[in-house]
Amino acid sequence: MSHKAAKIGLTSLVLTLAFGGLLYSTLGESAQYYKHVDEVMVQPDVWYDTPMQIHGYARDIRRKRDSLEYSFEMHNKGQVVRATYTGIVPDTFKNESEVVLQGTLTANGFHATGMTAKCPSKYEPQAVGTAGPTGTTTY
Amino acid sequence: MASLGYYLLLAAFVGCAYALAASVAGARRRSRRLVESGIGAFYLVAAIMTAASAVIVYAFVTGDYSIRYVARYSDSVQPLFYKITSYWGGLDGSIMFWVFLLSVFGSSAVYVNRERHRELIPYVVAVIAVVQMFFLFLMIIHNNPFQTYLTENPADGEGLNPLLQNFYMVIHPPTMYTGFVGLTIPFAFGMAALITGFLDDSWLRAVRRWTMISWLFLSIGLGLGMIWAYEELGWGGYWGWDPVENAGLLPWFTATAFLHSVMVQERRGMLRVWNVTLVILTFFLTIFGTFMTRSGVVQSVHAFGEDPELARLFTIFMVSILVFSFGFVIYRLPLLRARNELDSWVSREAAFLANNWILLFSAFFVLFATMFPTLSEAVTGERLTVGPPFFNKWMLPIGLVLLLLTGIGPLLAWRKTTLVNLRDQFLIPVATAAVTGGLVVAFGVRVWTSGICFALCGFVVGTIGQEFWRGARVRQGATGTDVFTALIGLVARNKRRYGGYIVHVGITLLFLGFAGEGFKQDEQVLLKPGQQTQVGDFTIRLDAVRVTDDGQKQMITGHTTVFRNGEEIGRLYPAKWFFRKHEDEPTTEVAIRRSFAEDIYLVMPAFNLEEQSASMQIVINPLVNWVWVGFGILAVGTLIALLPETVFAFAAARVPANAVTTSLLLLSLVLWPAAVMAQSGQTVSPEDRSGLERQLEGEILCTCGCRRPLNDCGMFNCQGHATQTTKLRQFLTEGKDHDEVIAAFIRDFGSEAVLAAPVDRGFNRLAWLFPYLAAVTALGVIVVTARRWSNRAVPAAAGEAGLDPALSARLDDELSNLD
Repeated sequence: MSHKAAKIGLTSLVLTLAFGGLLYSTLGESAQYYKHVDEVMVQPDVWYDTPMQIHGYARDIRRKRDSLEYSFEMHNKGQVVRATYTGIVPDTFKNESEVVLQGTLTANGFHATGMTAKCPSKYEPQAVGTAGPTGTTTY
Repeated sequence: MASLGYYLLLAAFVGCAYALAASVAGARRRSRRLVESGIGAFYLVAAIMTAASAVIVYAFVTGDYSIRYVARYSDSVQPLFYKITSYWGGLDGSIMFWVFLLSVFGSSAVYVNRERHRELIPYVVAVIAVVQMFFLFLMIIHNNPFQTYLTENPADGEGLNPLLQNFYMVIHPPTMYTGFVGLTIPFAFGMAALITGFLDDSWLRAVRRWTMISWLFLSIGLGLGMIWAYEELGWGGYWGWDPVENAGLLPWFTATAFLHSVMVQERRGMLRVWNVTLVILTFFLTIFGTFMTRSGVVQSVHAFGEDPELARLFTIFMVSILVFSFGFVIYRLPLLRARNELDSWVSREAAFLANNWILLFSAFFVLFATMFPTLSEAVTGERLTVGPPFFNKWMLPIGLVLLLLTGIGPLLAWRKTTLVNLRDQFLIPVATAAVTGGLVVAFGVRVWTSGICFALCGFVVGTIGQEFWRGARVRQGATGTDVFTALIGLVARNKRRYGGYIVHVGITLLFLGFAGEGFKQDEQVLLKPGQQTQVGDFTIRLDAVRVTDDGQKQMITGHTTVFRNGEEIGRLYPAKWFFRKHEDEPTTEVAIRRSFAEDIYLVMPAFNLEEQSASMQIVINPLVNWVWVGFGILAVGTLIALLPETVFAFAAARVPANAVTTSLLLLSLVLWPAAVMAQSGQTVSPEDRSGLERQLEGEILCTCGCRRPLNDCGMFNCQGHATQTTKLRQFLTEGKDHDEVIAAFIRDFGSEAVLAAPVDRGFNRLAWLFPYLAAVTALGVIVVTARRWSNRAVPAAAGEAGLDPALSARLDDELSNLD
């Protein structure tokens, strides 16, 4: 009986160690910091060139004419960072919408490679707006 | 109205409390009457919850905006259909819907099992009542759906979010909830068995069916959610490892594991602690998933808002579940000892064990990765996240191993597989895998991971095909019917086993679809009318950006034409819709051209009306439709496994054996065109042309030399096209009718060669008749063949009596105890 228990114990130990090790090493490559704008912008230079996700509210959204290059500000609790993103933006990306950007912070602002917008209040509708289908402003 | 609803919820709470007290007291005092009254109260709760649901639906339908919940999730212009479904559109209502489903499900489970498992029933009632009380308590103190405005009532509601006004969103949540709620039943039976100590395998029989039903709903729910994400959200994929999606997947893993390991307990009396643990874990994960999506503990783009109070209540409930359930497991350990030990690692038990470990590991991995941001914040103070690539890196190999086991499991014998047996069983599946793998390499497909996935799919199909073929041959030899009838008889006699194999076919198709993901092409461009872009083999040209309005919404539609190798294959109309009152939340209407080989998936996320430009996202999704087909087959397989014995017995007694084959062939004949039609279905936005004009465009040929009808010419700047269209317009404005226009075209051109099809008159009628004649002839041939195949058999009633002993041994060996 104890022989069996030892076998099971040993197998579990080896498996746990193997998977734990694998998990740890892959996590190191894949994990990213998840920060709010105000947490980062207090001391931005610490975060330069660290891949991260940044959470905040977008405003002053501009799009370069005939392109998919966006430039906007991300703000949260009084801190602001200028961000750029090239590509198609979610439907809900508009002024004062809650966004999470993936990318890196540099001295010139945040360069986003990915963008996720807070799902349009899937279950929590906000106040009724009246804006028409105008698209974003161009510059 | 609101207070009536609220009092109903209070009454339901009291009813649950009484059901709990009466059944526990009745069980302890062995008082039949007390137990019966507890069950009565339990049924009553279901009735009260139905009434409360009727109240809220009534409030939605009549537009009683004094109730906050109604005002927030509906408005007066909403179609009736969506008014009703707004019931579960928000947090409070979804909790109430949950309790309603649980009360109905619980009552049916108790009703069905009340005689068969008399000793367990009081505790089953008690456990379900406790779960119901928790959710009712939540509603009464925290999330009351009947809450009214303290100040003045709004005149109209805010309306349901447009994204949710969608067919899939109507049926996806109830399906998902039914799956989640259904998993409470096995838990209740498991706990009742633990509490009473009646831990023989009879409780398993009671819960197996319920787990299977819930599993079916959960699978369909996941599938519908994927279709919804794919067709509605417009990011080109269907699974993003979002916490909300993962919440549905977690109990699915453990329930799948349970459905497999339960066979080991039934067959060999092993894994008893394990099975109880899986049932508890599955239930726990349903509650945990609910907690995750509703308390704001995990940051998700889809989750309901943050709510620390709700999080606290849920935590208390979840900790109680774990302490209480595992406390009983430890207490009953002596009764849960395995009756047998594992004989060999080359056995079906071992394969099931491996499958269970992997599924459980998957569940824990997904749980860990989903909770990782929260965990890392708790431990280090820094919030770290992991994205879909991390999930994929782990889940791809895990999925492949599971697929491999799907193929291996059925080939191994119980207890121990001999070497000869191994060779005999593995030869064909391995050959299929090798051939598939060879083809994949020959076509230059990447080996990791798609190539391996294709080969493994081949392996599993080989295994299942072999199982069906051998089973059917043996049965055919014994009963003397044809192969098809034997096949049906085989499935009917071992529904659970062969239904399970059909589920495996579905899973294989899912994997086929997943493998296609590896060849996805994605392009984002900004186009102006006339401009085009190339993605893979396809060219997409933007023709125009147009604005239309249907009263409920304004629609901006991009008109595009798709070409393959220079030839037009279709037109797609991606759009953006701006619903009234939700103008700042436009919905993206994806345009998809489907085929079994690949989908062309077109999204127009942004546009500029002054510039007449549109940004387009073009995604080529190879094999994606196999995912949906896979879910369909999975559902069919589960339904076969679920069908009551009596259904088949009844059918077999009434229907002569041969009729099965004939009717099946006929059915497939009828369904085939339907399936093709369903595939070519296309959302086409309305154009400002009359029906007659469009009809004629299909009948008159373009004169550019392409020999195609006007509406199908793929040439750029085609002169003939323009001339013909103008001419057609002109004739129509002159007031000519269909026949006159055709006559005019024939006159101008000089012959009927200008028409896409000959005029339906005189000798030409033969040409019109030809396809119909061909169809009728084909039908006749099939019927005759089917009859001949059927008649070759010894007529009718070749029952089980005729089975030869070797065959019986082969067939019964693995399932005699099971079904």
